[in-house]
Amino acid sequence: MAMKTNYKLTKKDFNQINRRNLFFNQLGWNYEKMQGSGYLFIMLPQLRKLYGDHTPELKKAMKTHNQFFNTNPSVNMIIQGIDLAIESKEGVKSLETVSGLKTGLMGPLAAIGDSIFASLLPAILGAIAANMAVQGNPFGLIIWLIANFIIMYIRWVQLPLAYREGTTLVTKMQGQLNALTDAATLLGVYVVGALVATLINIQVPFVAHIGKVTVTLQNEIDMILPKLVPGLLVGLIYWLLGRKKMTSTKAIFIVIIVAVICSALGVLGKG
Amino acid sequence: MHGSIMFWQVLLLTLYSMYQIWDDLTIVSSLSQPVWAGLIAGAIMGDVTKGLIIGGSLQLTVLGVGTFGGSSKIDANSGTILATAFSISAGMNASTAVAAIGVPVASLMIQTDILGRFTNTFFQHRIDRLIDEENYSAIERNYLYGVFPWILSRGIPVFLALQFGGNFVSTAVKVLDTHLQWLSNGLATAGALLPAVGFAILLRYLPVKKHIAYLILGFTLTALFSTLYTNVQSLGTTMATVSKGFAGSFNSVSMVAIALIGLAFAINEYKKNTDKQKLTELVSSYKNSSKEELNNSEDGEIYGDED
Repeated sequence: MAMKTNYKLTKKDFNQINRRNLFFNQLGWNYEKMQGSGYLFIMLPQLRKLYGDHTPELKKAMKTHNQFFNTNPSVNMIIQGIDLAIESKEGVKSLETVSGLKTGLMGPLAAIGDSIFASLLPAILGAIAANMAVQGNPFGLIIWLIANFIIMYIRWVQLPLAYREGTTLVTKMQGQLNALTDAATLLGVYVVGALVATLINIQVPFVAHIGKVTVTLQNEIDMILPKLVPGLLVGLIYWLLGRKKMTSTKAIFIVIIVAVICSALGVLGKG
Repeated sequence: MHGSIMFWQVLLLTLYSMYQIWDDLTIVSSLSQPVWAGLIAGAIMGDVTKGLIIGGSLQLTVLGVGTFGGSSKIDANSGTILATAFSISAGMNASTAVAAIGVPVASLMIQTDILGRFTNTFFQHRIDRLIDEENYSAIERNYLYGVFPWILSRGIPVFLALQFGGNFVSTAVKVLDTHLQWLSNGLATAGALLPAVGFAILLRYLPVKKHIAYLILGFTLTALFSTLYTNVQSLGTTMATVSKGFAGSFNSVSMVAIALIGLAFAINEYKKNTDKQKLTELVSSYKNSSKEELNNSEDGEIYGDED
């Protein structure tokens, strides 16, 4: 007979899941199933409560949740919250639905989560911290630490919200998240532009002597546009990165070699 | 003291390198970032400022590098630890250490990261088997064992390099400072240029074409203001030394102010998007209702014909 579970998750359960997620997620990351075993580990105690120990239902549920899974670790609790909401209502017969939901949600959530939590925020906070650090000031690091504690809080409150709202959460959030991502990327692009103009201390030390006239090339460039050299160099590297078979690591080494050559020729120098 | 790192320093740096990868995978407190590595390694080695400079430079280099879909990323944290430790112990210039030690180490460490991720497959297979055996506590235990490949993938190479790399680095520094001055200068230039790579990588992940206007705006605004502020600053400090009555504080351009201007544009964009969305929802609901009306009136005509 199809067993229906009537267990409702309590605050204690939420705390246990959140603790496991915050301190142990991704420790089992591997090439075969990526965060698969992590997904199971995080909610194993609750699965045992839902289905009961040593039942065929629990074994089936464990197998379902030990499959390939990978998403951004800042938003994964949304998926597990919705999953638990469905499973605690429908029981073992919902496992197929839940599998589909997991694979359906992990991609889009990874895209949003990665662009905001893995790319944009670390870039902006990292730029502020690094900007202060290269001047010997550690204050920016504290800002970063505080900001990341706020993100931890956001990760903590996702679960009860997703559990309460269930599948309706996805449709509700879609539009707002798109608008937010768009605005956040705009700010990101703008900030990168500002950083290019401040944090690349490169100039052209080349001085030409034409008869009695001395021409300092950097002065001429500054008259056209200050920070033109850093701007052009970033553009050049951006183009380089777009070439086939180019990786960021390769690009970094190419830049080092070219910089050493240009420095030896007296074309580029530290500002 | 040049050229040698005390054993307790090696030990603390190794422990930190093992902690940071756990942090990076789980709570993400930012302690695993290169700037923090610079501060912590600098504190252990007794020169916080130098650590911050090296950490900050490497942070800017990898600004846009994230782990997407579980790919290995360049390990700028371990690179910072080794660059800071050797730069302080062997008396190497900070910018040179970034390019000569930080970056090569960071990219070599990709290999140990891959090894760690690969080793964890072993525990995954044990979990697969333990599910059939319904051994719940063993499942959890074997999941947690996954922490060892991770922390050892950082701890072992960092320990070995710190313990045995010192002599090699101090010899290299001597050669660089005497016979290869041009290379030393070149590496320092490279260190200063590396943030450009970080920014370019970041732009690759952002919708540059869509927001190109804001890229130009952010760049030009900051280029003008920073030049202005720098000039006023040097003018002001020079004047203050010449004339006693001339006082005042002269700061460099406020990046927070520059960022706030960008935030204003971002807020506008957000509002515009949500308004647009409401409009499309309204239009679609209106279309639906008018369709129904249309159906109703058609029905009416048919009834009329039958009359």
